[in-house]
Amino acid sequence: MPLMGQKNFRVLNKPVTRVDALDKVTGRAQYAADLNFPNMLYGGCLRSGLSHANIVKIDTSKAKAIPGVKAVLTAADVPKPKSWADYYYLADKIRYIGDVVAIVAAESKEALSDALKAIEVEYEELPGVYTIDEALEPNAVQVREKGVGLVDGIPTPGTKGNAFLESYFPIRKGNVEEAFKKCDVIIEREYRTQFIEHSYIEPEACVAVSNPVDGTMTVYSSSQNPHFSRRYIADALQIPMNKARLVQQTLGGSFGGKEELVGLTVGRAALLAKATGQPVKMVLNREESFLESSKRHPFRIRYKVGATKDGKILAFEGQLVDNAGAYNNQTQFMNCRASIHSAGVYNIPNVKTDTFGVFTNNIHGGAMRGYSSPQIIFAQESLMEELAEALNMDPIELRRKNLLKQGDLTITSQKLVQPTIISEMLDHVLEKTDFVAKREAYNKQTGSKQKGIGLVTCYRGAGLGAETVDASGAFITALEDGSVLINSGTAENGQGLKTAYSQIVAETLGVKVEDIHHIGVDTHAIPDSGMTVASRGTVMGAQSMKKAAEKLKILILETAKEMLNASPLDEVIIEDSVCFLKSEPSRSVSLGEVCNNRLWAGKQLAVYEWFEPKPLNPDHHTGQGDVFPTYAYACVVAEVEVDLETGYVDVLKVTAAHDCGTVINPATAKGQIYGGIAMGMGFACTEEVEVNKGKLRTKNFDSYIFPTAVDVPEMDAILFECDDTEGTFGAKSLGEPATEAVGAAIANAVNSVLVRTKGERLRRLPFDLERVVLGKSLRAGGNA
Amino acid sequence: MMRFNYFRPASVKEACKLLNQHQSEAKVIAGGTDLMVQVRDEDKKLAGMKTVIDVSHINELRYIQEEGNVIRIGAIVTHDQIFRSPILKSAAPLLPEACNTVGSPQIRHRGTIGGSICNASPAADPVPALVALNAEVKLESVRGERVVPMVDIFEKPYKTNIGADELLTEISFKRLSDASKTAFIKLGRRKALAIARMNVAVVLELDDQGIVTEARIAPGSVLPRPGRVSEAEEVLIGQKPTAELIELASKKVSAVMIERSGVRWSTPYKEPVIAVLTRRALNQALGVE
Amino acid sequence: MDKVKVNMFVNGKPVSLEVKPYARLLDVLREDLGLTGTKEGCGVGECGACTVIVDGETVNTCLTLAASMDGKHITTIEGLMENEKLHPIQEAFIKHNALQCGFCTPGLIMSAKALLDSNPNPSTEQIKVAISGNLCRCTGYEQVVDAIKEVAEKSK
Repeated sequence: MPLMGQKNFRVLNKPVTRVDALDKVTGRAQYAADLNFPNMLYGGCLRSGLSHANIVKIDTSKAKAIPGVKAVLTAADVPKPKSWADYYYLADKIRYIGDVVAIVAAESKEALSDALKAIEVEYEELPGVYTIDEALEPNAVQVREKGVGLVDGIPTPGTKGNAFLESYFPIRKGNVEEAFKKCDVIIEREYRTQFIEHSYIEPEACVAVSNPVDGTMTVYSSSQNPHFSRRYIADALQIPMNKARLVQQTLGGSFGGKEELVGLTVGRAALLAKATGQPVKMVLNREESFLESSKRHPFRIRYKVGATKDGKILAFEGQLVDNAGAYNNQTQFMNCRASIHSAGVYNIPNVKTDTFGVFTNNIHGGAMRGYSSPQIIFAQESLMEELAEALNMDPIELRRKNLLKQGDLTITSQKLVQPTIISEMLDHVLEKTDFVAKREAYNKQTGSKQKGIGLVTCYRGAGLGAETVDASGAFITALEDGSVLINSGTAENGQGLKTAYSQIVAETLGVKVEDIHHIGVDTHAIPDSGMTVASRGTVMGAQSMKKAAEKLKILILETAKEMLNASPLDEVIIEDSVCFLKSEPSRSVSLGEVCNNRLWAGKQLAVYEWFEPKPLNPDHHTGQGDVFPTYAYACVVAEVEVDLETGYVDVLKVTAAHDCGTVINPATAKGQIYGGIAMGMGFACTEEVEVNKGKLRTKNFDSYIFPTAVDVPEMDAILFECDDTEGTFGAKSLGEPATEAVGAAIANAVNSVLVRTKGERLRRLPFDLERVVLGKSLRAGGNA
Repeated sequence: MMRFNYFRPASVKEACKLLNQHQSEAKVIAGGTDLMVQVRDEDKKLAGMKTVIDVSHINELRYIQEEGNVIRIGAIVTHDQIFRSPILKSAAPLLPEACNTVGSPQIRHRGTIGGSICNASPAADPVPALVALNAEVKLESVRGERVVPMVDIFEKPYKTNIGADELLTEISFKRLSDASKTAFIKLGRRKALAIARMNVAVVLELDDQGIVTEARIAPGSVLPRPGRVSEAEEVLIGQKPTAELIELASKKVSAVMIERSGVRWSTPYKEPVIAVLTRRALNQALGVE
Repeated sequence: MDKVKVNMFVNGKPVSLEVKPYARLLDVLREDLGLTGTKEGCGVGECGACTVIVDGETVNTCLTLAASMDGKHITTIEGLMENEKLHPIQEAFIKHNALQCGFCTPGLIMSAKALLDSNPNPSTEQIKVAISGNLCRCTGYEQVVDAIKEVAEKSK
């Protein structure tokens, strides 16, 4: 099976128009910064410009005296300066460059700007640690009290250091020591990756509005996870959660990034709105967003792998360390996924890996599309190329020999019971790209500009898996005209969730897509159903929506049968919002008539359903057990031209095949893949948040370089399906798979040229101009 | 975001009067594509600025003319207008090519040739092309006007010696002969919206025997002040441009870069690569692959 | 600081305003005129989310002083629909799934419009260049280019 097209659906599998497209092409979609309220103030933040310092003294008197300034708050002025999620609304000490020292609300942007400049702060700068290597040095400055030291390379309670204990995840399968003895070839390599900015085009924004009557604080915001943001309102103000309300506005991109910083911004705006009794709008500028938002974690990955001479991988050992920064709310979850995927999509009997983060005084790592996978796949798939080289074997053959098959055990010893189609995807992509012939032809090139082709195979655990419980809730109301309101705790972040959910309801219930309206998240109107993360929105999040639609359908059919005078044996069908007898389609009644009938008969028309996933059984001490309900497979090929004299990498073509399980909407699925390719290209070639002792040199899009329309390659998105029984209608995760393999494929393509021409290989991203020419970066500071 | 007063003179005369009145407290704005970024950043370069004088409405400064063999470009002509100019396409093709690599369409629609010079960014794309054209600039003030070689106004990155009361009104240069061969090459980190990592403009003239009679080589982003590299040009003048000589001339550019700029963090990269770009520009001008 | 009088045409209508001398066109459109379809993404002329058309050419309103707009004709995303009917570019963006989060979409559409108004039959390369000053992090531009191409082909 196959390419998409062999499943039989009415609404799924079709390129249904995005339900939010009209609002977005007309400019009328309301993003948080577009909102205005009467008497609204402008809020802003003061940062120190330092990476590690004590705050000796703050004097806000001059700022407060400026006309139009309504509030100036520091840590001393608020009930709880530290948020529930490790970070500070208002810092008592500078632990990294993003920490905020004071917040201001003023009647005009001018007064706000003047006030921020008029706050006088005295700092005492402190020595800091910034890189993974520095953090792990014996006697390194301890960044956080909760940091621990390493014993035999493993974070160990009771010792002092910078390792982040809660983020430590081991994998112990088989016996690597014994297995290495049986290997004919063993190689050891180290790979590193960089800080990456999400670069959503909309900077963080919110407006906080307090209701003086009932004390409810409502914040309209650019939140990826509205319920998660709500927690910051209640926490910052120390009010009950039922008085904290978060309304998600149209979101201008997130990719995992609009979590902590949006939460803090929401909390700060709420503090100012409370202090002034007026609405407060807080919109970050791009530089502020760079300074305080989370980044893709840089990793230092050390691998040792051993194989028999015919290419069977027997043993795999690794230490994966990521730079968590000064605060962290993510590494302790992300590294769970990192550890599970630390050895790739291969059947390896003996595995021992240790994954953990370290605290530094650097910018902090957080969730970003892929959640560790782009970094790990880069290392892992570079390693496969190097192992093939050492074995003197075709890397395609090496992969074929080791790829997981249905029934195999993963490195957590989870048995793959669902279709495991990576081998056939590999064959298809090799053929479609003419990989082998191109590779041969490219080997004969001479000259300063040479083409290369690279391949990656990988997989991804679908949804949250062992990271946390993948439960969700959804709400459907049918109205008396036959139109339908739906809502979910998971949110539209631009990925197309409202469209996918509308299609799923349309498919399940038989209502027309255009008769469905997805409301969007207002935390007072829809219960929390976990975060919209981990590419879970469709695969798991929509399960509750499907359940709710199924339940509502039963109710509607009950009344339709009555209205159609159907016999108990008659089957009633709902299609395109019309209910009719299967045996006699002309006997029909509209959905609106059925709903109207139920309304006046006092019968239920609204359903809220909850989905709980089947239990998994991870053992976090050994990293063994069933850790994801199912896995999505991918095979990506990149073709590049490398200018060996200038270091410029031109990405010519990327072919990306993805196992979608079931394609809900091929147009939006391909949109995910195309966007993922562009993001992966930036990761491989140009993107790096440059930091020097925790201070940023890349703070805006003039120096942080990601692809424009003239840079992106030719793209071929290939959609595979299979009969997987875990996800909603058999769907799997796609948003993150879309980007996670691309950087690695480009890296393999570039390295194919460098190995051929220079006998060298790059092991640290990005492969920018300087690194391709010189083998190293000239940028100041070390990230990882 | 800095705050300032705003004047919108309708003539050069009026603009000069305002500049004279406000002296160093005034900055000239045309397209704003550089100045507005500095305004937002409250850039130190603008310290003391209280007034901007918007010259974008002075229509007498919007022209591309040819008089005899001299090309004159009004200071507020945009990069896009230069790119689209038929006169410039034949008279100095490297200039439209260079202007078309600036930023993005939006930037090229607003950014002006005069602004690009006055901003004095070492990475400005039109500047090496103008250097290779031996361009002159006209500076006007209430005191009168003066025409000086463009390279003479640059003091250091982002600093010119244009007087506080002076307005750059015109850029002029001689039309290149039909026998001239030119090239402009830019290396950025991406293909659009890219600040030049380095760029280079070349103009060559060869006689009937294929001997180089004139060579102008102007690299960007490698020298402390925009200028030609006569040491490299001399390698070619009076010679047939063989691959060896081109290589030698290109390496001279690297050597001169280090001589004039010293060894910096970027030197290990720039040293080989500016030679590559120069070689490619020379070869491109000569039509050699 | 004295306010500056500006007479301009916005979406075909004459607008007369007193603006702060340092106000950006972006702020005047969004705050004084309530035209919030024009977005701010970077403030330094890189992302193009603030793109509008001034006298037929795209400009970044974050780098444009409102005071300098005297006498200019400005078209924003709100000016594209005629009699409640979508512009063909808007229709094509919808049809081709040429948007995701939508934040860069108004800017992209303005760049596409300026291109097609001056060159109804652009090549694919010309389309890409025309939108090269509009950064999009979601779409990879593929379906955006498809959408613009279709409008161009229909006009043939």
